[in-house]
Amino acid sequence: MKKFWALFFWFWPIVALWVCFAAPGRNWWFPSPPKSTLGHQIDGLFYLILIIVALTFVGTEAALGYVMWRGATKDASSKAWFSHGSHKLEIIWTIVPAFVLVFISLTQLDVLADIRVLSKFPDEAKKGALAEVTARQFEWRIRYPKPGTMLMTDPQPGDLYFVNELHVPAAVPTMVNLRTQDVQHAFFAPKLRVKQDAVPGLVIPLWFEIEEAGEYELLCAELCGWGHYKMKARIVADSPKGVSDYLTRLEAEQNEDGVAEAPAGEESAEE
Amino acid sequence: MSKALRLRSLVLTSALALSAGCSDFDSAFVYSERTTNLMPEAQDGFEDAPGVKRLVDDKFGNPQQLKAWLKLPVDFGGSSATVGEIVADAGGAKVKLVAVEGVTLPESAKSLQFVSGAAAGQSVGITAWDAKTGEATLASLPEAAPVAGDACSVDGGEVLKQGRVLYMRHCSHCHGSSGDGNGPTAQYLNPRPRDYRNGVFKFTSTNDLSKVSRDDITRVLKYGIPGTYMPSFLLMEDSEIHAIVEYVRFLSIRGEYELKLVAELTGDYSVKALESRQEKRSEIVDELKKFLKEDMPGAATGAGDELAEQWTAANTEEARIIPSVPRVPDTEESRRKGRELYLSKTLNCADCHGIDGAGNGPQTMAFEDKAHPITGVKYSEPGLHDAWGNLNQPRNLQTGIFRGGRRPIDLFCRIHAGIKGSAMPSFKNTAHEDIWHIVNYVLSIQFESEPGSAGVAAAATPAPAAGAE
Repeated sequence: MKKFWALFFWFWPIVALWVCFAAPGRNWWFPSPPKSTLGHQIDGLFYLILIIVALTFVGTEAALGYVMWRGATKDASSKAWFSHGSHKLEIIWTIVPAFVLVFISLTQLDVLADIRVLSKFPDEAKKGALAEVTARQFEWRIRYPKPGTMLMTDPQPGDLYFVNELHVPAAVPTMVNLRTQDVQHAFFAPKLRVKQDAVPGLVIPLWFEIEEAGEYELLCAELCGWGHYKMKARIVADSPKGVSDYLTRLEAEQNEDGVAEAPAGEESAEE
Repeated sequence: MSKALRLRSLVLTSALALSAGCSDFDSAFVYSERTTNLMPEAQDGFEDAPGVKRLVDDKFGNPQQLKAWLKLPVDFGGSSATVGEIVADAGGAKVKLVAVEGVTLPESAKSLQFVSGAAAGQSVGITAWDAKTGEATLASLPEAAPVAGDACSVDGGEVLKQGRVLYMRHCSHCHGSSGDGNGPTAQYLNPRPRDYRNGVFKFTSTNDLSKVSRDDITRVLKYGIPGTYMPSFLLMEDSEIHAIVEYVRFLSIRGEYELKLVAELTGDYSVKALESRQEKRSEIVDELKKFLKEDMPGAATGAGDELAEQWTAANTEEARIIPSVPRVPDTEESRRKGRELYLSKTLNCADCHGIDGAGNGPQTMAFEDKAHPITGVKYSEPGLHDAWGNLNQPRNLQTGIFRGGRRPIDLFCRIHAGIKGSAMPSFKNTAHEDIWHIVNYVLSIQFESEPGSAGVAAAATPAPAAGAE
């Protein structure tokens, strides 16, 4: 029975190793493969941490199993060795994790800079924000500049407004400005691996390059109130032409004066 | 031992608490305060003369068991058919249904509702269904057996039922399960969620005397109301939005029907009216009984007819506001004209909205000669009040937030029809061209460098036409 426990604790690292190897191929960790360029880098960081954690887990479990096996096979009359209070061991297991943490924080700096530091943004994204996304309880309000103009921090005449649907070009680095009208929210597109808090009083630039056209979920990832679960929108990635067509349509819709469509409607009703 | 006992009783009580917490509860439609202000006999009626509560429930039911009053212009769902032949056999009853002209029977069907004949109002489950022949095997045949020629509906009420589920999930926590704008979260919100039991909706594309159209409710659901807590439900399926719109119409008509019935009684039989009446109570009760028996049924039918007509008319072209002239180009001159009209004595927008559009005109500081719609007490606070008895702050036009939508046509409708239920009156007699000038001015207020500069800075960009680059 004593040996059973040693085997029991040796069994789990084997399962853990298998899960770690199998998971990426079977898409167990993430909602889908990353759909944005930054997503690959972010997944890379996740996998780096997964490897470190897996190795640590396997090592600890192996040591635990070894100690138990020793205890199970040892002569019952032999004396135990008390390791408690060993300075040497204390120093080792403080310094080794410290190095690991410093290693992680240094390796992720490049990715962090790519995501957050404005000067490292791709040139195309730096040219100007495509839209301003304003979070509010409990929806996402979108403001595009009038086609052909730049997005300004303050609303401008001719700006186009929509809600809960953001159109962006696919395969083009795109920047949006993130704000909030009330409390803290977080812009979270799981498949794009984009997650950024919206902080009251700040305009936070945010960029991503969606690899393929399609619709992506946009959620709020900061518990923002009782209607938090309602804060769901969609990001529509389209060809650049598709996006500019969309904006033209939106502009026409927003300048709707209720006159142009009316005679046509009446005629068809009479026919 | 005692410890184990205590533990066991703790587990038991928490299990009980859990099961109690999770058990179903019956929700109910709340009656209007105007109804509960009537004398009890008028609310509850008599055995052979129903009072207000029973009259309303007879036509609309309760949230568990909704009733479809087919006279009303609500899409309850279902395909109309008539009973062809009835084959009763051991395993159940087979009925052959004939679709009403112009209706196709659905591919799958769950239940059958009888609309006319002896079984009218009953609903039975369908266990097997053949859409081609219209043969339905029913779980059971109603006791009062239907006969050939009876009208029925396949999956009748499905839209309303779906609407109820979605409404309860997404809307009721603010708007309340009966649409009284008094759900559990309502107390935290300013502005308060709308109580639409009086059939009044603020932002409509219909003229000042018409109800709200289906399209108007759909728009509000899809795009939300900026500046309020009403969020956008853009990601819902169209069929889901449709179901909610129909359910909101159902609730709104229910509330209005109730108010119309109360209006018949409130003058003579409200608790307040009783105080000033000299007769003995038993005499009043007899008089009420006579009224409920002889006059009320006719009044109820009339109220139903009127509602059906109004809510149908709101969706027609005649009710819609269509400007007689297209939008006047958004030039500096037009804005200046708009501002002149805004300040003019005849329109006097500034009286409420303020000379710079900040929503702080003199009316916001005056005492209104109006009483609260329910309590009847005159307002002790200065300012304007809406039909719901809430303080009605004129919109601050400098914020660039337009609750009813920012399209020129939206603003045109706000001015033309007014904002229903609010202190914003209708300006339908104003020339349409002048309304456009005001629209142009109002849209520019946000960008004014100083009050009255009429958006000079922005004047360089005239309104872009559709299809601009």
